[in-house]
Amino acid sequence: MRDLFYDLVRRNGMAVSIYLMLAVSLWVFILIILPQLTMLDYSFRFNLPPAKIGGPEDVYTLEQYRYFFQGSGASDGLNTLDIGILFKTLLAAVFVTIFDLIICYPVAFVLAKSSTGAKARLLVLALIVPYWINEILRAFAFRILFGATGVINETGMGLGLWDTPIDFIRQDVALYAGLAYAYILLMIFPLYNAIESLDRNQIEAARDMGANWWQVHAKVVIPYAKPGIASGMTMVFMLTSGALAAPQILGGPSNLWFTQLVYQWFNSGGNWPRGSAYAMVLLIVCIALVLLVMRLFKVSIGEIKQ
Amino acid sequence: MTKEISLEHVWVEFGEFTAVHKANLNIAGGEFFSFLGPSGCGKTTLLRCISGFQEPTRGKVKIGGEDMRGVGPNKRPTALIFQNLALFPLRSIADNIAFPLEVRGVSKKNRRKRADELLELIALPGQGDKKVSELSGGQKQRVAIARALAVEPDILLLDEPLSALDLKLRQHMRTELRAIQKQVGLTFIYITHDQGEALTMSDRIAVMNKGKIEQIGDGKAIYDHPTTSFVASFVGENNVLDGTVLSNDGKVMQIDAGLGTPFAVENHPAGGPALAPGDACHLFVRPEALRLSKDESAINQFSTNFVTEEFEGNMRHIVMNASGKDLKLSLINDGTNAIEANAPVKLDFAPGMGIALKPGELASA
Amino acid sequence: MKMKSPTALIPGLYLTLFFAYLFGPLIIMVITAFNSSTFPRVSPWECFTTDWFGKLAADDKLLAGLGNSLLIGVGVVCVAIPIGLAAAITLSQVGPKLRAALYTIFIAPILVPGVVIGLSTLIFWDRIGTLFNAPYESFFYDGTFLTIFGQVTFIAAYSMLVFLSRIQRFDTTLTEAALDMGATPTQAFVKVLLPFMAPAIGSATVLAFLASLENYNTTVFTIVSSSTFTTVLSSKVRYGLDPSISAVAVIIIAITLIGAIIYECRNRYNTKSWALVVAERPALKVATHPGTVAVILGVLALAAVMFIQNHDSNACTAQILEDKRALQQKLMEQQSLNTPQQNVPAPTMPNLGPVGGNEGGASAPSPFGNNIFSPENLGTNTPNDQ
Ligand SMILES: Nc1ncnc2c1ncn2[C@@H]1O[C@H](COP(=O)(O)OP(=O)(O)OP(=O)(O)O)[C@@H](O)[C@H]1O
Ligand SMILES: [Mg+2]
Repeated sequence: MRDLFYDLVRRNGMAVSIYLMLAVSLWVFILIILPQLTMLDYSFRFNLPPAKIGGPEDVYTLEQYRYFFQGSGASDGLNTLDIGILFKTLLAAVFVTIFDLIICYPVAFVLAKSSTGAKARLLVLALIVPYWINEILRAFAFRILFGATGVINETGMGLGLWDTPIDFIRQDVALYAGLAYAYILLMIFPLYNAIESLDRNQIEAARDMGANWWQVHAKVVIPYAKPGIASGMTMVFMLTSGALAAPQILGGPSNLWFTQLVYQWFNSGGNWPRGSAYAMVLLIVCIALVLLVMRLFKVSIGEIKQ
Repeated sequence: MTKEISLEHVWVEFGEFTAVHKANLNIAGGEFFSFLGPSGCGKTTLLRCISGFQEPTRGKVKIGGEDMRGVGPNKRPTALIFQNLALFPLRSIADNIAFPLEVRGVSKKNRRKRADELLELIALPGQGDKKVSELSGGQKQRVAIARALAVEPDILLLDEPLSALDLKLRQHMRTELRAIQKQVGLTFIYITHDQGEALTMSDRIAVMNKGKIEQIGDGKAIYDHPTTSFVASFVGENNVLDGTVLSNDGKVMQIDAGLGTPFAVENHPAGGPALAPGDACHLFVRPEALRLSKDESAINQFSTNFVTEEFEGNMRHIVMNASGKDLKLSLINDGTNAIEANAPVKLDFAPGMGIALKPGELASA
Repeated sequence: MKMKSPTALIPGLYLTLFFAYLFGPLIIMVITAFNSSTFPRVSPWECFTTDWFGKLAADDKLLAGLGNSLLIGVGVVCVAIPIGLAAAITLSQVGPKLRAALYTIFIAPILVPGVVIGLSTLIFWDRIGTLFNAPYESFFYDGTFLTIFGQVTFIAAYSMLVFLSRIQRFDTTLTEAALDMGATPTQAFVKVLLPFMAPAIGSATVLAFLASLENYNTTVFTIVSSSTFTTVLSSKVRYGLDPSISAVAVIIIAITLIGAIIYECRNRYNTKSWALVVAERPALKVATHPGTVAVILGVLALAAVMFIQNHDSNACTAQILEDKRALQQKLMEQQSLNTPQQNVPAPTMPNLGPVGGNEGGASAPSPFGNNIFSPENLGTNTPNDQ
């Protein structure tokens, strides 16, 4: 630490070094680490009224985590409802991530390898513009689209594909479409950056040696773009499983997203320790899953970029 | 004002790797001194030690007799011209040149005045408001020099400043640099891996290889009397033969190089360490030292066959083969030296033109 | 002429489909903002109206939220940009081992769910506030401050990424050159590195401001009893779909498009080839100057606002209302005339839309019901849920 500071001073001078150290430590400690630790601490406590906090009853407990696993009953039964929601959330997030990867890969490839100059810039702009629009409004647009009298139902019924309106909201179709839509950009850009740096000649050489188009992708492009794919998937997965706005607006009424449980414990439930415990569960499970997949694909977190 | 520089046992190590190996050196004030060596031999590292960006692991750098350890680059009387010039792309030419004055708190008016003077010196008058990107390579070069001169440093350090330029411009800039040095009378320390550049411009040259200074001397000494095999093979073209010393009477050696009769080679006081009978050696003979034998009884004569010829107008570069060994031969194209393709040809060289050195590392071609 | 083989068309076709997915929902949302139907939909088309915009202008909650959002956005920019810059510079100067460790910490807030960040920020400052026995009015409990802290946590990471990609192209010999010429390290920082970073500071500022404005997941926790544009919007959406939300979207999309067009114009205007084209045509040069384009777009936007203010669709909506009333009258008459025999299919009726001037979804037959998260609604079926 002291050596680091001396090194910074030697390079930047005293004033600038103090600024650098101060800004970074403020961020890392006050904004990132301490709040997380406080939340972790909170998740091991009872939900006490303010007057009793710090009092004799304020002791550490596993009660909040126990609740997640076993529910309110004192019996050994599993809290299938909440655990089920967690699994459903993770599964849906995986599904959305894979869906995004499949639809974004061709776009990123075309963008990176067949467009140049002004055209590429326009395409990129066209990709970004929808994301300058509020997340709530994007979800709202899907609500309109998939409503009973929405365009999809009207078109489907107009073409005679089905004759009573399909409840896309209750079926979670709207939610998945909206979530996939919400994070497309976070998938495309890492893919684009990775593919863009691939030398065209490598593709041509593979062609030359008789590889057909899917072999070119499977053997040359995808292995090369692996870090980009990994970071795109990580981003989309983490953000999807942590999404709150889209599930609140597009989710079916009886089908909760795990973040909504956290929200409920916090707001209507008024039970902060339990909300913290649920948030910790979400965080830990997601990180574990990402690390596991990264290990499987042999990429490191340092390769994640935007 | 000028200051002399001395390096005393300077080592630079990056972890396990030794970039500079015990450098000892004195550079007089007002001298034009060059470092010459292949890529990666530690030239830039040595220069960074002098300018203060790199502290030597061991040893001392002295400028004007003062030990420079702990003195930052902004406190040393040196100005460095970077390998890539390092002009500030967001500043105008004049603001680039005036930068050293700006950071010293010189008033805007005086800065401008000095910048205009310097623009005059580098033959770019009135171009101070241009952007860096609007200049040609040679012009950028001159701006970098002007910027370095703005605070009147005692020592100007130049790191391969001409390497990015084309041949024509490079030759032009050589003369110009030399002229500027004469005019301002500073100590120039110049880095290059182009030996033509080093030989034409420098008062003295240090030849480096793998972090070691192999030889220090003026251009003539380095070319005519190299002291190590590396210098002999790195500076200029050279033919090298493996040989054994048969006898050495202090004045002339007899060397068996496997080409028939042994060769007589003179010892030279400025040359490398003396060789004793029985020693293995490298025998160097420059292409221009070889000549077509005029008579049968010439000394150091041997028989060769024609391989190929490269015609360069005034010079003819011929490759001959002697007992399986290719030798280069340069002849002036005066119409007298006909070589018949299939007949054996006799070559010889004067005993004073051969150089026998302890076998050592050769520069890769 | 060479005929393109059909496979060569696939990429183009795919891109078209993809962009349809990207823009389709937005376009439909925009259209619904101009339909007088009280439920946001394209068909049946009732009347062209601009009344939904008028309704927005009168929405005090939304305007108050917008005010808070702008304030928070400015606060976030002021804190996140210096932090992001410092982080990027630090990363560029430390050794590879420490760099990897720091990078992981710095990037974490982007990956951690926003919900978790919001929650932990709220708890942390609550704890600190309790520790100091701070009164409830102090900033430890203030939604605006908490939201700024919460958002900075990850927006600083976004801006750091922007700075990092710029600083990677920085030639460190420039700093060395400055030092060599006698600049102090601080001078070298201020006069060489900062000017180089200036464009990145600009784009990071825009990015940070937009990210702050649109954030929901973190803000919904940290805002406490106050509100922002996004939280107001979200409760509007959750408690009743109504086309004035589409009108918000129209405004935001318009602003975005204007921004994008000016940005693109500026890019084109600054290209070398365009500089050659306009070199001898001063009129064209002025006409294509991004400033001119901005003024033209501004005038157009103003005209649109005037149009919206003056457009009167009352005649049409009254007519529609009349028609509905008549139709309903007829249905009722039919029903009362031949009571049990003739079955009027029940679902058709709700689709006619509201009768009378009531707004919102309360009595309107919205699909799937509003307010799906209010507990009373769990499990209750609206007419269309079968
Ligand atoms: N900061 C450093 N860390 C580790 N190794 C270094 C560092 N700087 C230089 N080196 C190594 O030291 C050696 C000498 O480098 P230097 O830059 O001095 O070479 P050079 O003679 O200037 O070469 P060139 O003619 O290509 O510029 C090289 O092998 C290089 O890899
Ligand atoms: Mg070098």
